[in-house]
Amino acid sequence: MSQIGSFALLLALALSTYSFLAGILALARPGPGSERLGETARRAGIATFAVVFLAAFILVISAFQDNFSIAYIFHHSNRDLPAPYKFATLWSGQEGSLPFWSLLLSAYGLVLRLRHKTDARLFAYASAIIAAVQIFFLLLLNFAAHPFALMQGELPADGAGLNPLLQYPEMVIHPPMLYLGYVGFTVPFAFALGALIMRYPGEKWIHITRRWTMVTWAFLTCGVFLGAHWAYSVLGWGGYWGWDPVENASLMPWLTGTAFLHSVMMQEKRGMLKMWNMWLIFATFWLAILGTFLTRSGIISSVHAFAQSSIGGWFKWFLVLTLVTFTFFFFKNKSHLRSEHKLESLISRESSFLFNNLLLLLACFTVLWGTWFPLISEYVQGNKVTVGPPFYNNVAIPVALLLLLLTAVGPLLAWRKTSVESLKRNFMWPALGAIAVGILMMVFGVRPWKDISYFYALMAAMLAALVGLTVTSEFIRGGRVIARHTGQNLLASMVHLFHRNTRRYGGYIVHFGVAVVIIGILGTPFNQDKEKEMGFGDKMTIGPYTLVCESYTQDDNPNYSNEWAIISVFRGDRKIETMYPERRFYKASQQPQTLPRIRSSYKEDLYLTYEGVNEATGRPIIKAHLNPLVMWIWVGVLIMIGGTVLALIPNAAPVRVTAPARIQAAPVGAGD
Amino acid sequence: MTVATLTCAMVMLCVLFYVFYLPGRLHLGPEKTRLAYLQERKEAIYENLRDLNFEHQAGKLPDQDYQSLKSSLEEEAAGVLAEMAQLERAGAAAVFSNRRKGARV
Amino acid sequence: MKMTDTNATFRRSLHVALLCLTVFAFLGASDEGARFNRLGHRLMCVCSCNQILLECNHVGCTYSDRMRGELMAGLDRGENDDLTLQDFVQKYGPTVLAAPTGTGFNRVAWIMPFLALVLGLLTTIFIVRAWRKRPALAAPGGVLPVSGAELEHFRTQARKDTQI
Repeated sequence: MSQIGSFALLLALALSTYSFLAGILALARPGPGSERLGETARRAGIATFAVVFLAAFILVISAFQDNFSIAYIFHHSNRDLPAPYKFATLWSGQEGSLPFWSLLLSAYGLVLRLRHKTDARLFAYASAIIAAVQIFFLLLLNFAAHPFALMQGELPADGAGLNPLLQYPEMVIHPPMLYLGYVGFTVPFAFALGALIMRYPGEKWIHITRRWTMVTWAFLTCGVFLGAHWAYSVLGWGGYWGWDPVENASLMPWLTGTAFLHSVMMQEKRGMLKMWNMWLIFATFWLAILGTFLTRSGIISSVHAFAQSSIGGWFKWFLVLTLVTFTFFFFKNKSHLRSEHKLESLISRESSFLFNNLLLLLACFTVLWGTWFPLISEYVQGNKVTVGPPFYNNVAIPVALLLLLLTAVGPLLAWRKTSVESLKRNFMWPALGAIAVGILMMVFGVRPWKDISYFYALMAAMLAALVGLTVTSEFIRGGRVIARHTGQNLLASMVHLFHRNTRRYGGYIVHFGVAVVIIGILGTPFNQDKEKEMGFGDKMTIGPYTLVCESYTQDDNPNYSNEWAIISVFRGDRKIETMYPERRFYKASQQPQTLPRIRSSYKEDLYLTYEGVNEATGRPIIKAHLNPLVMWIWVGVLIMIGGTVLALIPNAAPVRVTAPARIQAAPVGAGD
Repeated sequence: MTVATLTCAMVMLCVLFYVFYLPGRLHLGPEKTRLAYLQERKEAIYENLRDLNFEHQAGKLPDQDYQSLKSSLEEEAAGVLAEMAQLERAGAAAVFSNRRKGARV
Repeated sequence: MKMTDTNATFRRSLHVALLCLTVFAFLGASDEGARFNRLGHRLMCVCSCNQILLECNHVGCTYSDRMRGELMAGLDRGENDDLTLQDFVQKYGPTVLAAPTGTGFNRVAWIMPFLALVLGLLTTIFIVRAWRKRPALAAPGGVLPVSGAELEHFRTQARKDTQI
């Protein structure tokens, strides 16, 4: 089996190399036979998918067959590992996740190459660029991190097991989502670079990749937040975002990708910001590669150091190579990227996009800076320092608040020019609403002067309200215009409005989702926690809840042994739930893990962890967290994803107004 | 061992066959024409015009700005439409003359 | 900001503590508890789990319990915040602090993002101004402008095609 896998990887490398070389040759020397050469290049690209798929398939089959002669399977699986996690071995370690990257890239490449008739030449360029990226990953797989490397010496009886932190349902979907996002940005990048190299007339490549970018963005969003949810439900420290270097690595391409999604509209509609967009999509692609590198190389220590090795050098060279290649073509064909229009007014959608981009990039820079500062510090002053949550919270929160303000104001601005009066008029009601929210919060005990975090919470709540209200008012205002023309009622008009421009109004729904996520995050300053040793019948109160320890016990199964407590949760005198915080000890990997239990409601999460046992008394130590509003984060993400899906729906035809005769009656050439 | 080798050989053969066996003519999409480019531009300008009308009716622009912005967009559109019409006329003429010359196909 | 002026921070934390004690005692956090909580969130656990000291829940972590004990002891001795944190730096090295301090080169860590913000803002404003003043650009894609009757004809067509 493993020989077939190794062969498949080698063949895939040969195929993608052929696809790349033949592809550029056919494009560089048009003439008799170049079409046929180009077609073989395209087909080699398609075949790459089949062959990489075969390799990945063999890896998964080997995991299911407990083929521990393959070192990778030995290190990431064991006989008693539940089936879904065996499937997930494909991405749980570095040698596996790289074929997975490669598989996803070739799958995206497959779709692209099958649809080449849309614009054969542009697609051929994109296909060659994707093949080039593919070559890098296949080189890594064949020569640096071979997934089918065999165990040396005697064959082990059982595998070393999967890291227990990864034995959680979300771990089966979080990495694929994130990777779909990371890899997906290769496609718009390939089209952008292709269009630049061939000096493609017009902005059709944006149109072609528009949905692609949005889907990719949705995957990345999903991946980032699934990661946060995983951290919340598995790591057991009661939080969801620790500004860990690898979390940061997934956030950076998300930030630049979000910036690109916005600013590319300026290019599509107005032919502006062409150079900027080129850099932005390159940065997103580059940061996605960097993210993979950070996750997989272990250069910066992190909770994600599941996989560490020496592939760093390869990645560094690849990052440098892509940068040099891109820079070369950028300067070579810069004249192709000249702007077509000037900026008409400071108060316009265009300038709001500029500031949006500035802030998103600033956030990205801050994250990048914080992630690398320990290394810089070591270089400059000889000692590492920690750049942890206090740093990011102090810097990122103000930036996030400013962004939220822009999110609220942006939709009120028209393209090109907006009058100050209309802005004032349209902004007044949402602003009053936001102020009302602020006053209400202060009435309910949020004292912004007491602590900076309360101030932030108050601002975030007001701005989130502002976003929600401006989005609503945009829907109503637009709906009224439609209603005037069609005579439908307001609701039907709003649906109609949405169908006219799904991207815009779907985007507004995404904005609304962001506001809801912010509401969830702003609960953080109000978190409480308590820890107590709890014997039979012992009580602990936290917030409105009283916890009573009913019992504690232990158990054993082939995969792990575990201890847990049975805790009754009371609210007042009423028992509302029984919770079972647990601790496991995984046998194969010899690692312990805490399993928090969470009771979610729209108001707050009650989060219990089994911290351990007091050796002296034999009684368990239970830690309780009370985290307000956390559920809204997940709800908000669902809204964001829903909004993106809605934005993918094709637009309906524009409104046909019921008076064409009058216009047609205008005589041709009436103006002279 | 031999099964593996055989499988590898099979995979190799299938791939080579798929990649290099190209019977008959290729049907690639058309090269992008000037007309197609102008059509894209027209769509984009029309979209902007519709947006402008809509935003004016939604009360985001005073009449004066609206008129000047609209006029500039319409001029842009007119240029594109004029060239499209010219190209279409030329294209029709070419087809017509081809037909008169007799079937080359 | 909170790092650069430690005195002000200290004064403010005193205020916060005082307020906590008098007005918001019902929140359940005593003065000492709040200080412990605040300082504990400014320290990292050094067991290589990369978590904030008070959030380290590493099963069987040999460091976090001891460090929490030391923090408690420091507070009991009546030391101020800086001194307490300094004790930790002496003992565990500078990486024990969860964020760079406001001294020496570490200040750069804090200044940089704000510097970037200011530079970015200035650049954006500069770009916006430059773009507004830019002379009218040639028609994109080499489309020639039309005039006269032709212009009116096509203008009407465009108007007809694009109501809303």
